[in-house]
Amino acid sequence: MNNALAPTVLRELEGVVGKEWVLTDPDRLLVYESDAQTAHNRAPRAVVLPSSTAEVASVFRILHHHGIPMVPRGAGTGLSGGALAITGGVVVGTSRMNRILEVDPDNRRALVQCGVLNTDLTDAAAPYRLHYAPDPSSQTACTIGGNVAENSGGPHCLKYGVTSRYITGLRVVLPQGDVVWLGGQGREAPSYDLVGLFVGSEGCFGLAAEVEVALTPDPEATRTLLAMFETLEEAGKAVTAIIGAGLLPAALEIVDRNTIKAVEASIFAAGYPTDVAAALVVEFDGLDAGLDEEAYQAARCCEREGAREVRQTRSAEERMALWKGRKKAFGAMGRLAPDLLVQDATVPRTRLPGVLAKILEIAERYDLQVANVFHAGDGNLHPNLVYDRRDPDETRRVEEASKEMMAVCVEAGGTITGEHGVGIDKRKYMPLVFSPEELDVLRGVKEVFDSQGLCNPGKVLPEPGGTT
Amino acid sequence: MTDSLRRAVGDLLSPEAILPEDESRRWCPGGKANPVVVAPSSQEELAKLLAQASREGWRVLPAGEGTWLHGGGPAKFDLIVSTRRLSGMEEYEPADLTFTAGAGITLSSLGEATEAHGQWLPVNPPGGRLGSLGAAVSLGVGGSLCQLYGPPRDHILGLSMVSGDGRILRWGGRVVKNVAGFDLTRLCIGSWGSLGVITSVSAHLFPLPESDVTLILRAPEAGFLLPVAQSLARSGLPLAALELLDPLDDAAGNRDGERAAGQSGSSGAGLILRLLGSGAQVAEMEARIRAELSQEGREWDRWDGASSRTFHQVLDGWEERSELVLRMSLLPSRLEDLFSEVDGLRRIPGELGAEAGVEVRAAAHAGAGILRVAVSGAESSGRVLEGWASALGALRERLEESGGTLTLSTAPRSLAREVGSWGAVGEEAPLLSGIKSRFDPQGIMAPGRFVV
Repeated sequence: MNNALAPTVLRELEGVVGKEWVLTDPDRLLVYESDAQTAHNRAPRAVVLPSSTAEVASVFRILHHHGIPMVPRGAGTGLSGGALAITGGVVVGTSRMNRILEVDPDNRRALVQCGVLNTDLTDAAAPYRLHYAPDPSSQTACTIGGNVAENSGGPHCLKYGVTSRYITGLRVVLPQGDVVWLGGQGREAPSYDLVGLFVGSEGCFGLAAEVEVALTPDPEATRTLLAMFETLEEAGKAVTAIIGAGLLPAALEIVDRNTIKAVEASIFAAGYPTDVAAALVVEFDGLDAGLDEEAYQAARCCEREGAREVRQTRSAEERMALWKGRKKAFGAMGRLAPDLLVQDATVPRTRLPGVLAKILEIAERYDLQVANVFHAGDGNLHPNLVYDRRDPDETRRVEEASKEMMAVCVEAGGTITGEHGVGIDKRKYMPLVFSPEELDVLRGVKEVFDSQGLCNPGKVLPEPGGTT
Repeated sequence: MTDSLRRAVGDLLSPEAILPEDESRRWCPGGKANPVVVAPSSQEELAKLLAQASREGWRVLPAGEGTWLHGGGPAKFDLIVSTRRLSGMEEYEPADLTFTAGAGITLSSLGEATEAHGQWLPVNPPGGRLGSLGAAVSLGVGGSLCQLYGPPRDHILGLSMVSGDGRILRWGGRVVKNVAGFDLTRLCIGSWGSLGVITSVSAHLFPLPESDVTLILRAPEAGFLLPVAQSLARSGLPLAALELLDPLDDAAGNRDGERAAGQSGSSGAGLILRLLGSGAQVAEMEARIRAELSQEGREWDRWDGASSRTFHQVLDGWEERSELVLRMSLLPSRLEDLFSEVDGLRRIPGELGAEAGVEVRAAAHAGAGILRVAVSGAESSGRVLEGWASALGALRERLEESGGTLTLSTAPRSLAREVGSWGAVGEEAPLLSGIKSRFDPQGIMAPGRFVV
């Protein structure tokens, strides 16, 4: 297959964004051949980098006219292969669309272009003592548009909820190039919740070019605990005990021994003890009054479940270090082996201990090393498998073990992805959670936005009739 | 058609699923006599019914307990389908803070079941606690608790439904984070029954707050309280509710929180603050509010515990028994503009020479930029209604120009027809009809309601 775009198409695209923003040089396309989940790779035919909603619309119109697939892409930090042009398409990157258009402290809202980085938005809101609540681990690199596409989570979603709670309006470009405003704060529109539907649609409906978000007041105070356990199971039980006590922490995170070792050996070393099986981070925030009592109760819960030690961070720096270590865990795991399959699934919180035991058993049976990091309060697991993809046998074992782990999670009443999305990676697991009728409806809804099937094809939905 | 439809439905469903004629008269929005009302006992029975309805072109209005059948405007329907027999608690794991229940469960039964475990679902729609969970989800509208907890959609994890063409579908799940597939749960929330019938709902719960305190600040008119409301809304204090009522009237009538006998309408305005949380947090918030707002002459009404709770349950029924209820929205910073529109509405009866007996009440979710106006005594003559119709048309135009909306939550049929219960759909229209056709290809679900 001749991969290059026809010169006439290139000229049309260059006419919209300028010659320097249409990339075709294979060396420059290399960056775009995968996302942070390196197991999948495929270079696009070209990359176009528009700077405005109007340019995105023109680019989409041209591609649509020529029947060329378009693949929206933010910072490429995704973990399910969602931003890859796997069917010979053109990547439409949003890196130049990085302007914060409005910060409106009176209404606690902001309007941004989709390429704005998650932390840049929070920085812009900081003078008003506001922040953007969803805090995915990649927040210093990932874009708001990418967060919208994936409905991203993060450690503090336990109390604050995921991206969809914070998106109030979207200016979207549909595949044929139409620009439509959806929702908007201050409107109770006579409409389906198209904003809610668009969030998490993984670039399959169009590109959300401008995003209106709700901002959250900064908490007045926080208390952060670190509890150390001799077994992963005890840490899991402590999570259930804390929730069962009627406490609502802002975050409840578990990191296991393998993860701690990787983090502590990296530049993000945060003082996690390396000789424990699991560490549980518990954070409370809000009004200062009452936080000590909540932290005290949570510490008792941990001790009752067998914590070897529970300590409270004494300074903002210590707290930041703990969080940095936690959020950079995926990166730190790069030290363990050349490749890492970052897994993602959710189970009901009370099923965590049993599911964890099964996951460890599966990893052992396939002779694989697993490093667990998870949003325990949400029941959101990340059993990460380290391997070397040059070893075909190990790669096969990773694939088979992943599939078993997904089945275990679904069987426990959970689902195949909590926050990383389906992308290419999990299309094959979709029939585990959706019936053929339901998949038909999902396909039908996509067709409403994208009748020609040109927008990010080959993602989310499995091939009709097949399991892959 | 009623008799033949009743027979045709009788062939499909078990006899218990069809309400007897004398009982079904109650289910009669806007005076349509004797509708056929059915209440299937399983998803499968419902699926069979809707598949047949789709083939035959029977128009279906989904309902729960039938407490808010007038909402959403005049509907054209042949059949009301109630979920009242799909009302069991299907799964409740207190340690997970999640449950799955039949859509027909009333909010009050749900409350009893979860409060026994020290948990609750902080959803208080205008229809009150006798309405069903399914209706609350289907309408998607929250109440005063949205100030702290957000709208109902923030708590719904998944739902099952039977689509307009009789397919049983399940979206989302019972885990709190789930991004498998497109978010059709969110699509169905607030779809007003136009896609299908929601049959069960999974949601997450919150720990019941240890402390519940209500503070009320009174003033002769709303204007005095607006700046206070705005500064509280922006303070970052986690208030559970921030309601501005003008008049405050019976809702605050006596200290037991019971509805006072004889509603009076001239008690001045009131700003209602609800504080929920641990004892320490609530005490701290109360102390700060009193310190911040302790100007001379200011007096607070204060209720706590059960009386605070009862007060809010009464307040949740604020819309009841009004023949016209408007719902306006704008950005929260423009609350003042919304209240000045109320002044305009208050002048209408006088301008029409029909002042006597007309009462115009206003209640705002002050932090959210939502203002409801309830009018009673307006339906006196054709000329008066005509006057309201033209005023409301102009009001909607002004609000939409400012990026807001006006909907008629409740209205006399003629007024709803004249003004339209909903405003302009805008550029989203083709997407909406496309989506509906994927669930309800024959267009039998709640036609005329909502948008499509």
